[in-house]
Amino acid sequence: MTAAPAAPAAPATPAAAIPALPPTTAAVPRRRKRRDYVGIALWISLAISSLLWALPFVFMFLTSVKSKKDISQRPTWYLPTEWMWSNYTDAIETGNLWGTGTNSLIISVIKVPLGLFLAALAAYAIARIRFKRYKLALGLFAAGAMVPIQIGLGPLFSTMLSLNLLDTRWGLLLPYLAFGIPYQMFMLYGFFRAIPDELEESAQLDGAGRFRQFWQICLPLAKPALAALFILDFVATWNEYAMATTLLQSKTNWTIPVAVQGFSGQHSTSYGPLNAFIIMSAVPVLIVYLMFQRYFVQGAFAGAIKG
Amino acid sequence: MSVVATAPPGQTRTRRRQPRRFAQAIPYLLPAAILYGWFLLYPIIDSVRLSFQEWNGFRNSPRQWVGLDNYKRLFTADPVFWKAATNSLIWVVLSLAVPMILSLLLALALNRKMRGRNLFRSIFYIPAVFASITVAAMWSWIYNPNFGALNQTLEAIGLGSLKHSWLGEPKIAFYAIFVASIWQGVGFNMVLFLAGLQQVPNDLVEAAKIDGASAWQRFWVVVMPALRPTTVVVIILTIINSLKVFDLIVGMTAGGPAQSSQVLALWSYTQSFSNHTFGQGGATATVLLIMSLCLVVPYLAWSMKGDEK
Repeated sequence: MTAAPAAPAAPATPAAAIPALPPTTAAVPRRRKRRDYVGIALWISLAISSLLWALPFVFMFLTSVKSKKDISQRPTWYLPTEWMWSNYTDAIETGNLWGTGTNSLIISVIKVPLGLFLAALAAYAIARIRFKRYKLALGLFAAGAMVPIQIGLGPLFSTMLSLNLLDTRWGLLLPYLAFGIPYQMFMLYGFFRAIPDELEESAQLDGAGRFRQFWQICLPLAKPALAALFILDFVATWNEYAMATTLLQSKTNWTIPVAVQGFSGQHSTSYGPLNAFIIMSAVPVLIVYLMFQRYFVQGAFAGAIKG
Repeated sequence: MSVVATAPPGQTRTRRRQPRRFAQAIPYLLPAAILYGWFLLYPIIDSVRLSFQEWNGFRNSPRQWVGLDNYKRLFTADPVFWKAATNSLIWVVLSLAVPMILSLLLALALNRKMRGRNLFRSIFYIPAVFASITVAAMWSWIYNPNFGALNQTLEAIGLGSLKHSWLGEPKIAFYAIFVASIWQGVGFNMVLFLAGLQQVPNDLVEAAKIDGASAWQRFWVVVMPALRPTTVVVIILTIINSLKVFDLIVGMTAGGPAQSSQVLALWSYTQSFSNHTFGQGGATATVLLIMSLCLVVPYLAWSMKGDEK
């Protein structure tokens, strides 16, 4: 806790202070010292609140490795008397983790890149081709991002019923693609819009067609936005529950969130395996998060979010 | 609805006046437009149509027109609808107050350089990558009246009198779910605010400091105006996400006890898929649609006006 706050300009730690501290007036160091107290207080309160924030994860993990007896007889925050790693294998079996995980993975791996590509095509058309009434098209698309999906669930069910796609992978994939497009289109539109015309004009002079302008100029320039949208969409697709539970019926077609709900409904008293199942169900999104973490944590997201 | 209604004339006029540009745009626009129109726009419009009909959800049974019957029943004979509508609005208001301010404070604090900054940011953000249905299961466990961490902690620190059956009491359940949503939602808004803070002109902040402005004054005069676009985005996303709340409630109480934690999105779903009254569900969904559009259209207008500058 000693070197807690490293306030931006203040070389508070002795090591940093030694090299070249310019001989400034007496007033300046005093001001710096005062700012450090604020920094320390801030740091301590942040540390406490982040501990609080992490507690649910701690409880979840501790429960996931405890026996039934431990759970019912000892407080939650105690370490287990015996580490029940078998909870994890139990959960994999009773929750059919591999089956549902495969379903979720297939859907996410197809949906996310394809959906992003289609949204980018549409955003390109609206932002760069600039036909008349492009604003109407933009508004129509964007409106879809603002409406709660549950509004369309009943008719969506009826549509899939009449298309014979209820309880199939395609039947979930198609609406997933549709529901991702508006938001992504809206974000990418802002990005493509900001590309200077000269870039495209010079490409045109070089004989590049529309699609090459899109593929070789606009898409690479939108990379940060695409990366941010990729992770957001992957997380959203992996976690989607409302549509999946409406459109999927047989257990073999379930995706991970439906399985989590099914598991907690059926095995609501086997807390150990339930928590193990929850932890394992989140592994893929955690991996994706860690891969793209810098976009979120270090503010590199800035450009991707258009004000 | 007006947006939807004006679409066809606009497009035909475009085709007549500028055939080449629009023809060029078509192949790029078409795949997204078909998917969007068929599986999002159409279901939403159909929901409105369904609200004037009766249907039990089976393939062979026809939809029958019943006029305004569904709405009549909804407004006069369905106390759950009013509970759900009130709860949805309470959720919107609470979300705009508590988690939004919390995430702004976190972003301001974590925008400073400090030791462990990235770790702090990660801890606050990670709940946002968990599925809501998963978060519901986690918090149901924490709220468990006998073995849950919350009651056990209260007991251990001598506050046993505060113990509750958190999800079993009609007066508490709804707010207990809301606490879980704060835990899950603060991180994402924090990231948005952090992104917005990168756009605050640093030299302006420095200049204000030299001019002797206090931290409070700097915040209101320099930081807040620069943060305005981000704030609008966060507000709109918060409103939409509040009206969408579904997974958390399904997973924790399924709307109970005694429908005390019911919200519009879930009530519409329950009427359609549990009670097999798709018309009633459609009417509830239409009310939700109107609520959302009332909040969204001003935003769309605002963001497009900004585009012209």
